[in-house]
Amino acid sequence: MTEVITTESTVLTPSVSRVARRTAFWAGVLVFALVVAGITFSVRGNVAEGDPLSITNPAPAGSQALAEVLRDQGVRVTETNSLDQTRDAAAAATGTTVLLHDPESILAPDQLLQLAELSDNLVLVSPSFTVLDTLAPAVAAAGEATGPFSADASCAVGAVDRAERVTGDGTGYRLVDESADAQLCLGSGDAVYSLIQLGTDAGVRTVLGVPDALSNEGIIAGGNAALALGLLGQDPTLIWYLPSLADVDSAAPPSIAEATPPWLIPFTSLVVLLAFAAAFWRGRRFGPLVIENLPVVVRSSETMEGRARLYERGSARLRALDAVRIGSLDRIGRLCGLPATATVDEVVAAAASLTSRPLESVAALLLTEEPRSDAQLVRISDALLDLERAVAIAARPG
Amino acid sequence: MAVSGWFVVLLAAGAIPVVLAGDGAPTMLVLWLVLVGALSALDLILAGSPRSVTLHRSVPARLRLGETAQSRLLITNTGRRTLRAIVRDAWEPSAGARSQRTRLVIPAGERREVLGQLTPFRRGERRAAHVTLRSFGPLRLAARQATLSAPATLRVLPAFNSRKHLPSRLARLRELDGRTSVMIRGQGTEFDSLREYVRGDDVRSIDWRATARRDDLVVRTWRPERDRRVVIIIDSGRTSAARIDNEPRIDTAYESALLLAALASRAGDRVDVLIYDRRVRGRVQGATGADLLSRLVDTMAPVDPELIEMDWAAVPALVRSVTSQRSLVVLATSIDAPGASRGLLSVLPQLTRTHTVLVSSVTDPTVLGAAADRGDRSAVYRAAAAERALLDISRVSAAIRQLGADVVTGSPSDLPPALADRYLALKAAGRL
Repeated sequence: MTEVITTESTVLTPSVSRVARRTAFWAGVLVFALVVAGITFSVRGNVAEGDPLSITNPAPAGSQALAEVLRDQGVRVTETNSLDQTRDAAAAATGTTVLLHDPESILAPDQLLQLAELSDNLVLVSPSFTVLDTLAPAVAAAGEATGPFSADASCAVGAVDRAERVTGDGTGYRLVDESADAQLCLGSGDAVYSLIQLGTDAGVRTVLGVPDALSNEGIIAGGNAALALGLLGQDPTLIWYLPSLADVDSAAPPSIAEATPPWLIPFTSLVVLLAFAAAFWRGRRFGPLVIENLPVVVRSSETMEGRARLYERGSARLRALDAVRIGSLDRIGRLCGLPATATVDEVVAAAASLTSRPLESVAALLLTEEPRSDAQLVRISDALLDLERAVAIAARPG
Repeated sequence: MAVSGWFVVLLAAGAIPVVLAGDGAPTMLVLWLVLVGALSALDLILAGSPRSVTLHRSVPARLRLGETAQSRLLITNTGRRTLRAIVRDAWEPSAGARSQRTRLVIPAGERREVLGQLTPFRRGERRAAHVTLRSFGPLRLAARQATLSAPATLRVLPAFNSRKHLPSRLARLRELDGRTSVMIRGQGTEFDSLREYVRGDDVRSIDWRATARRDDLVVRTWRPERDRRVVIIIDSGRTSAARIDNEPRIDTAYESALLLAALASRAGDRVDVLIYDRRVRGRVQGATGADLLSRLVDTMAPVDPELIEMDWAAVPALVRSVTSQRSLVVLATSIDAPGASRGLLSVLPQLTRTHTVLVSSVTDPTVLGAAADRGDRSAVYRAAAAERALLDISRVSAAIRQLGADVVTGSPSDLPPALADRYLALKAAGRL
């Protein structure tokens, strides 16, 4: 056992440069894909959508085209983003139309009432429930309405008459207060209209459910341009009011973002990084595993267990008892000193005489009794063991 | 590349400045990450290369199962920097390496020794595949890692636990021999020598012819027959894979074969061993004395049972190829069921015509235990199945005896001495 093996070694782990060379192609592919994606995004970014219906937005969803045409017609168009700005702009001019487009429902009812005081010609583009409830309580939203719409005979709004045909999708409205002084235009059937002009004590309120008609993309279609110019170009000044976060009431309770300490997000990021670092620390494999061929493992008593389960499932009581009896007969025969060729009757007789038990009962136990239930089977098997023990005691010399 | 626990601790320590920084927390986080990254990179650069080492390994070539061997691994640092490394010496799981990881500091150009203890728990060829080094930098934050191939093989020989029975059997063998005062006469013993009568000798062994020549009472002494042949055939087919008492049948067969071979070679007989299923898996022929046992264990060590049926039909030819002389043929196999033993039973007449045949088989002590346990309903069914299995074994045994062969059965621990005893009995009776 003193023999010694000496080995020289070669490095199995590929070096960094080899790994780099091997993965160079796929790394190149990845870099190329990233560059392509970057370029695509930056190109798309040039036509990035600004705010929809903003008059400084030349994108399809913006409304710069309409504002420029109105300016050419001598209308002063001002875009405002807060109520204060709107108030200043309204104070600086006389005869103003105010367009309100508030898709995010930023303005509170009291702010809306303040806005209503600034102008007697309000155009509400796709108004929300709050806006309708506050400024045009006679009108209620009535679900989606899809164009094109045609000018209605009952409609006495000049801009709509000139437009004749309006395209674009949006919201339909229904007049809920029949007593109101209202012009119902651009109907899509079932008393649903996409333009309702209300004459109220405070001035004219126009509810327009087709914002597409004002966008750069939609204004050239049908009579949209005529509708927009006619509706918004009535007064020398147009205040284009798109409410922003500046209108949010600063007295509201602090948001979650304001309530969290400034270090919370960096701290949680650190914890996440820490989890990754710890996983790498514990999970880094210390070299490859050593593979070993294991021999098959066969439990030798499997056949016996299987046969036992078969007997049990099939309730093969007699068969099971026969097997037990053959074993007992064999052992008892040997204990009685009988040759292996002895007949069953000889064994029974020898056992009965040795233990001084009645021959009939021993014969019944060893041969004839049939178990009718599992309980009987257990009882007979116990009795067999008992008989074997008795024979062993009786056969013991001395 | 790998990182240490210190790296994680350092990263975690960043929580303090991040929380204290207040509004500047994001910046502080980035600064801290840059700091940790820079320190780790520095550590990686300063770490000694785990590739620039040479390994020398020395392992004992052979080892008996259950013994412990020492493996030495010499690591020479051929790089320019000090190597602070954790070394993993990767052995197969069955090699039973106690600790596979060692911390080492090897200055440049120096050599260190890693000692390991191997206690294999499975017979056969146990391999070491490679050595992995994880080399940390001076800050112990990050490490470079490399795996170097360093193959080695340790042949684990059968345990031969039954050798404890050898002294008693050898004593009984000597009792058969004429060297002791106890005289044994039998049909098959050979005439050894003549010596003077001493009081107590059997008067029947007095050689009257020699007495007349010598004018003194002379008795004949006898010795057991010598130079007989023992052929042991070990079945390495599928039935030998079964485990009894957490030992495969083939291992018990090896134990019995080793004990019998040791005993028979001392008794002056020639022992040949064949391990066979459908081809000869191992063959030891013509070896004598101490060489026999070492060749036997060496042949047996790597042979495991295969999941194929033993080809009994080829066995008579196999025995003929070993010897044409009358000999004791020991078949180490399993006799479980009449169906499975049909192959064995069909070739036995050919063997018993010219040889004395002994079939040795392991019995399962759990079967005997199950036959006696009648505790409840399922135990009774189990006992019935066990009785049935025992009946099968006794039927096959009876069939084998009818064909002129003999059967030795026993639990894994009892079978080797039982086989040796049967050999001694045959020898005493002169039936070899």
